[in-house]
Amino acid sequence: MPEGSHKFQELTTVSDAQAMLEVAARSGIETVWDRYKAQLPQCGYCDLGLSCRNCVMGPCRIDPFGEGPQKGVCGADGDIIVTRNLCRMIAAGAASHSDHGRDLVEVLLNVGEGRAPGYGIRDVEKLKRVAQEFGISPDGKTPEELAKALAYAMQEEYGTRKSSLQLVSRVPLKRKEIWERLNILPRGIDRETSEMMHRTHMGVDNNWQTLLLQGARCALADGWGGSLIATEVSDIIFGVPTPKPSKVNLGVLKQEEVNILVHGHNPVVSEMVSAAVQDPEMLELAKRVGAKGINLAGLCCTGNELMMRKGIPMAGNHLMTELVIMTGAVEMIIVDYQCIMPSLGPIAKCFHTKMISTSDKARFPDMQHVEFHPHDAAKKAKDLVREAVLNYQNRIKERVVIPVSPTQCWTGFSVEALLQALGGSLDPLIETIKAGKIRGAVGVVGCNNPKIRHDYGHVTLTKRLIENDILVLDTGCAAVANAKAGLKTLEAQELAGKGLREVAKALNIPPVLHVGSCVDNTRIIVLAAHLANALGVDISDLPLAGAAPEWYSEKAVTIAVYVVASGITTVLGTVPPVLGSRNLTKMLLGDIEGLVGARFHVEPDPEKAAKIIIAHIEEKRKALGLEAKIL
Amino acid sequence: MKQVVVRPERCVGCMQCMVACAVEHSSSKNLYEAVFEAPLPAPRVHVAYAPGGGGFPNRCRHCVPAPCVNACFPGALSRDKERDTVLVDDFKCIRCASCAMACPFGVIRFHVSIQLPSKTVAQKCDNCIQRISVGKVPACVEACKTKALIFEDINIALQKRTQEVARAISKEIREEVVISEAWSTRLRFLSQYEGLRKVN
Repeated sequence: MPEGSHKFQELTTVSDAQAMLEVAARSGIETVWDRYKAQLPQCGYCDLGLSCRNCVMGPCRIDPFGEGPQKGVCGADGDIIVTRNLCRMIAAGAASHSDHGRDLVEVLLNVGEGRAPGYGIRDVEKLKRVAQEFGISPDGKTPEELAKALAYAMQEEYGTRKSSLQLVSRVPLKRKEIWERLNILPRGIDRETSEMMHRTHMGVDNNWQTLLLQGARCALADGWGGSLIATEVSDIIFGVPTPKPSKVNLGVLKQEEVNILVHGHNPVVSEMVSAAVQDPEMLELAKRVGAKGINLAGLCCTGNELMMRKGIPMAGNHLMTELVIMTGAVEMIIVDYQCIMPSLGPIAKCFHTKMISTSDKARFPDMQHVEFHPHDAAKKAKDLVREAVLNYQNRIKERVVIPVSPTQCWTGFSVEALLQALGGSLDPLIETIKAGKIRGAVGVVGCNNPKIRHDYGHVTLTKRLIENDILVLDTGCAAVANAKAGLKTLEAQELAGKGLREVAKALNIPPVLHVGSCVDNTRIIVLAAHLANALGVDISDLPLAGAAPEWYSEKAVTIAVYVVASGITTVLGTVPPVLGSRNLTKMLLGDIEGLVGARFHVEPDPEKAAKIIIAHIEEKRKALGLEAKIL
Repeated sequence: MKQVVVRPERCVGCMQCMVACAVEHSSSKNLYEAVFEAPLPAPRVHVAYAPGGGGFPNRCRHCVPAPCVNACFPGALSRDKERDTVLVDDFKCIRCASCAMACPFGVIRFHVSIQLPSKTVAQKCDNCIQRISVGKVPACVEACKTKALIFEDINIALQKRTQEVARAISKEIREEVVISEAWSTRLRFLSQYEGLRKVN
C-alpha cells in the first residue's frame, strides 16, 4: 500500500480506494470527498427539510428554533413543507426507475416487431409466465408476437386507464387489503408520479398525512410497477440470472488488455457492449494494437446487471467511479443514466480515458455523445469498442496503477435461481427458518455516501447479521461492498453463525446472496410475497428487514418507502431531510407501523443497526409462534 | 447602545448573512443586479464549518483598542467613536495588509474597491452604519431568520442568556428546555457520521 494512504482510512475502508485517493492527492485531482468538505457547513434549513422553493412567492424557510418565521408565504407550516419535499424526492426516484422500465419495454416491443438487431428473447418461459399474469395467452403466438402483446400491456401500466397495477396481484391478499383501505393501491406508474407533482404544487395538498399517503402510493407504483417491470423484462430479454462466479474491485482491470467499463443502469446499453467485446474482429484488432484481449468490467447498477447474468466483473461502486479513472488503465467508460457524477468527464481529461454518453436523456460535461436506440445499439456498441481498442495505444504505461488483486465472489441469485437451489420450492427455506437455523433474512441495499465511511456501513452490518444466523440478500452498491470484503465466497460461510453456516454448506451457497441491481430490489419483495403466500400470512408478519446503511439518492428514498409500505421494516444509515417536521418524523419512526405493519429506523452506526434488526427479527419470530430469543 | 451580537448555537450554516452583506455593499444594493456587477461585491461576514454541525458566522468585533487600527501605517483604518465602529478609508488604504496580519480573527479581506474600482483595498464590516442612520438594522441581522445574529445591547443580550441558563438549571424545567429537538437531533447525527470515521 502506498505510503500515507492511512490518512484516507477515515474516508474509506477499502485499500483500492485508499490507494487511488493517494494518486488523486499527488495529481491534484478533486474528488467527491473534497467537494463534500467544501460544502460544509451544509444548510441546516435544507437538511431539516424546512426550506421550500416550489414557488416564487418564496423561497421560504422555517426557523427550527421557533423565533423566526413558522410559515411560508403561502401559509404552509413545517409539516407541509417537509412532507412536500420528501414526496418530490419519492416522485423523482419513482420516475427514474420507471423510465428505466419504460426503455426496456420499448426494446421488448422492438424485439417483437423485429426492429432490434442484437436483442432477443433469452427466456421464453419467463415471457410466457409474465404474459399470462397480464392475461395474455401464449397459445398460437410466436415468442415475437407474445413479446409485442406483453409490451403493449406493460405500456398500459404507465397510463391513466387502469385502476390497479397488474403485478400487485402477486402480493398477499391481506397486504392488498391494507393498501385498499389506505387508498394507496397504485393505479398507474406515470399517473402516481404526475399526481405527486400536482399535489406538491403550491395550494394543492396541504395535509401532510395525505401527502405522505400519495408518496407511498407513488413508491408502490415503482416497486410493484416500474422497477418490477424493469427486472422482469430484463430477465426476458437478457436471461434470468443463475448462480455463477465473478470478481470484484479495481484488480479486475487488466494491465495487458483493453479495459472498457460500463456505468449507469440499463442493460439495454451494457448488454450490447458485452456482445461487441466478444466480436472476433474486435479481438483481432486488439492484438494488432498490442493488447492481449479486451476486458469488460462494470460500475454500479449496470455492472450489477452484467455480473448477475454473465459473471462480468465489477470494478467498483458509487464512490469508486471517479477513482477508477485514476488507475490510468481505462480506455473507455460508456455511460447511460443515473448515479453518473458530472465530475467524471473532467477527471478523464487528465488521462487517456474516453468518456461516452449514450442516452438522449443524459448528457455530461466533457463526454462524447453517441446515442443508442434499439435499432442501432448493437452497431454503435461495436463502433465504440473499436474506438476503445485503438485508444489502447494512448495508454501511458508509467501512469498505470492497479493497486490490488481481484476478490472472488458468487453472484446470480434471482428468485428463480434460489428456488432451483432449494429444489423447486420454498419449503426447505421455510423449514430452516421455522427450525431457527436461519433466524430470518435482511436485504442490505443502497448506495454509498461520503457522509458515511465508504463501505464501512454495508460490510459491518452484513457481518453482524450473518454472525447471528440471518441470511443477507444484497443489491446495488452494497452488493459491491460485500463482495469486495469477501463475504460472497464459500469461505465466508465460516464467518456465519452455526445455523446459517450449516444451511449455506448444505446448499453450497455463500451466507450473503447477490440478488442484483437496484431495480432488482423488487426480487426481494417478490420473494417476500412468495414466502408470505406460502405461509398464509402477510409480508409484515415475516422475520425480515431492510437496510440502506449508506444511501444518498432520491431513488433510495422511493425504494425505502415501497419496502416499508410493503410491510418490511427498514433501517437507514443516513438521516433523510425530515427532522424539521416533528409530526412526519414521529410517523415514519413509529406511527406508520400501525398503518402498514412496518416502520423506519435511522441509525448511522452499523453495529447499533444490527442490534435493532436482530431484535426486530426475533420479535417477528415470536409473533409467528416460532422459537425466539427475546432479551 | 445596540450592536450585532452573535449566538453561534443558532447558526444553521445557510450563509444568507453573507449574501445580504455582499448585496448591501454592492453598487446596486439589489441581489439580481449585484451578481452581475464588476467588481463583484464581497461579504464582510464569513461563515465557516464548526465541527459537530452548524456554522460559525465570523464578523469584525470593532475592538477597543483595535489591533488593525494600531497596525495601519497610512491611517486608513480609524475608529468612529460616536458610532463605535472601525472603518476603512479606501482612498488612504495602500493594501499593505498590516491590518490583516494584526487581526486575530481573520475578518479583513482584500477586494477591488466599489468606490475606487482601480484599487484593491482592505474590506471589513462597517457595522452597516448607513442602514442604522436611517433606522434599519444591519443587513446580516435582517437576513438571519434563526436569530443567530441579533441587534441588541450586549448586556441585555447576555442578561437573556443568564435567564436561559437559570431556567435550564431549574429541575422541573430542565427536561423541557430543548431549544430545538430537530436541530439537536440533526447535530447528533452529524457528530455520529464524524465519530464513525475514527479508525479502530
